[in-house]
Amino acid sequence: MRKAAAVSAAMAAPTAAAAQSTTPAASTQVPEPSAETEPLTGGRAGSDFMVDTIKALGFEYICANPGSSFRGLHESVINYGGNEKPELLTCMHEESAVAMAHGYFKIEGKPLAVMAHGTVGLQHASMALYNAWCDRVPVYLVLGNTLDATLRAPGVEWVHSVQDAAAMVRDYTKWDDTPISLPHFAESAVRAYKIAMTPPYGPVLIVADSELQEHPLGDHHGALRVPQLTMAAPPQADSSAVAEAAKLLVAAESPLLIADRLARTPAGLARLIELAELLQAAVISTQPNSLPPIAAGRMNFPNRHPLNQTLRSVAAIADADLIVGLEIANFYGATHIFRDQLERTSRPATKSGVKLITVTAGDLSVKANYQDFQRYVEADIAMAADGEATLPALIEAVRRLITPDRRRAFDARGAKLADSSRATLERARSDAAYAWDASPISTARFAAEVWQQIRGEDWSLVNGNLSGWPQRLWNFDKHHQYIGVSGGSGIGYGMPASIGAALANRKYGRLSVNIQNDGDMMYAPGVLWTAAHHKIPILTVVHNNRSYHEETMHLQRMGNRRNRGVDRAHIGNEIDNPAIDYAKLAQAMGWYAEGPISDPNNLGPSLGRAIAAVKRGQPALVDVITQPR
Amino acid sequence: MMKTLLVIGVVCLTALSGTILMAQSQAKPAAAASIEKGRLGFVTVGCAQCHGREAQGSPTTGPRLGPNGLPYAAFARYVRAPRLQMPPYTEKVLSDVDLADLYAFVQSRPKAATPPALQ
Repeated sequence: MRKAAAVSAAMAAPTAAAAQSTTPAASTQVPEPSAETEPLTGGRAGSDFMVDTIKALGFEYICANPGSSFRGLHESVINYGGNEKPELLTCMHEESAVAMAHGYFKIEGKPLAVMAHGTVGLQHASMALYNAWCDRVPVYLVLGNTLDATLRAPGVEWVHSVQDAAAMVRDYTKWDDTPISLPHFAESAVRAYKIAMTPPYGPVLIVADSELQEHPLGDHHGALRVPQLTMAAPPQADSSAVAEAAKLLVAAESPLLIADRLARTPAGLARLIELAELLQAAVISTQPNSLPPIAAGRMNFPNRHPLNQTLRSVAAIADADLIVGLEIANFYGATHIFRDQLERTSRPATKSGVKLITVTAGDLSVKANYQDFQRYVEADIAMAADGEATLPALIEAVRRLITPDRRRAFDARGAKLADSSRATLERARSDAAYAWDASPISTARFAAEVWQQIRGEDWSLVNGNLSGWPQRLWNFDKHHQYIGVSGGSGIGYGMPASIGAALANRKYGRLSVNIQNDGDMMYAPGVLWTAAHHKIPILTVVHNNRSYHEETMHLQRMGNRRNRGVDRAHIGNEIDNPAIDYAKLAQAMGWYAEGPISDPNNLGPSLGRAIAAVKRGQPALVDVITQPR
Repeated sequence: MMKTLLVIGVVCLTALSGTILMAQSQAKPAAAASIEKGRLGFVTVGCAQCHGREAQGSPTTGPRLGPNGLPYAAFARYVRAPRLQMPPYTEKVLSDVDLADLYAFVQSRPKAATPPALQ
């Protein structure tokens, strides 16, 4: 209990005369506290019960950069809770903490908790929250705040207090609450978890008031209980819409299934394979034709499966007479070709008369301000439902409609698709050979060298696209081998998200591989220390083109459009002079590190040594000087 | 962006260095197009940012340009007025002579043999 409460009580009921006076009455002077009468210790506190609640929800870890507004909860986590389930992970930036939670979820399928100041901490965390929101990932954030103004310490505590802490991120979080009692905290904490974990997933926030945290429990502890958590079944599509979709799928000559954030779990991957093989339908697992091209949000379909047409997506889309979008964030972009010239235009990438079906839980969670919902899609059937949960019903509906004639047609179609897929993969291998010995190292050689080192391991690509070469040269067939991208394209995601994913992979003994862009790495490199401190093994290979390269290309576009040329496009975009020594940076924070590597023949041995360090339990980094793309 | 031209290991340009002769016509580049100038220009006018320093291409930004790329007329037409995402290069920012040098460079790219790691 805080002494300021006495001040509050003294001021609560002024006399009528005092209320009319502008001079403070002598009776409002507060006497010095008495050491004999003032309680200085209080035993168990509200935050202990908060830890009971957090433990009941099954969190393995809780990330935080320490802050005074949640000091009570911090102490309860490490002492009352024994620093086990959850174990506190020390982070050096709230953006890192949330991004770690983001990556962890996409491997583990369970959220990771984060503590932060309700003001400055949340401001730091907000970018990573936006990525999680766009990527449909649950993050569970507990914010410290001191709501009662009469209890705040003068000075910084006022600066760090806020009326409505969650307001600044409410546009891109799924739910929040500010409980005013411990029973209220418990109920809202459980409700928040349930909401976060009901598709479409999303970040949630609970404000843990500092007085609620720090006030002794007294005799109330026995009356407190944590409500039972009952997870909601994910929303499935309407049965008549599923039946109509199945009819169109069976009748189509060239059906195409496009998946983006479909496979929330390994079951989603298996179900998409089942549907595709049942129909012998083409599958694309990406967001084709978008600008810039963005890899798929999840591991939806094996890249070497004969029905996978991702590497010839333009042709597959043009050929389709029916396209089913499964949890696609940007279906319009997938079905149109956008041209970013002086006059911005877009035209259909599809043939005339194509029918479009969408299945996405995104239709159940649209907000107005931030525009992550993309352009409106003129679909023939739109199902506001979770894709993975809807697939079993769709598979059964399709199975019931298939006749022997259609089966023969499907088999012929599948054989053609397999031929196309095989030829495309062979062409990709042959394309990768160009500039094989170039220095800076080509992105294709980079991908091939990493693949040579990891192909015998139980690996997991936890971040990095490398111009799409891994999808061309590696063999992805397990759900944990790819976890998608940031969602909001907010830079700074890669390193912390990959470390969060590696944390989840650690207990399975997997080799986590992060292909890390240099510009992205420098947003909050303190997370390197977090990985070393908590012994999170991960192989990070830096795709170091010494620039914010996407922006370099934008500047080229602007310069040429205005007939001024591109020779100054590096200004404001290059990360050079001095070149950053990422190996030294990592070594300074406790990593094994090598580089910069600019001779492609040195890359394989360097990766081998780094992987050996990872197998000893250490995070390891190899800095690779690369071609721009 | 890498501002320093580094040694390109894969390409032995000794036999191809200097100039190459090409027939004069609107559909063909200038007669004295220079591979070496084209190599330099490929970086300084920004082609390498999307297509790579060896014009090897990148799946997400720009295709491989050589060898056996477009005929010169189609190449020049696309550079001046691209149909898709590439920034337009007018004569104000890229002369016909420089364009011819670029073409000479991309045409001189050797065909790649598939290394064992890719087989």
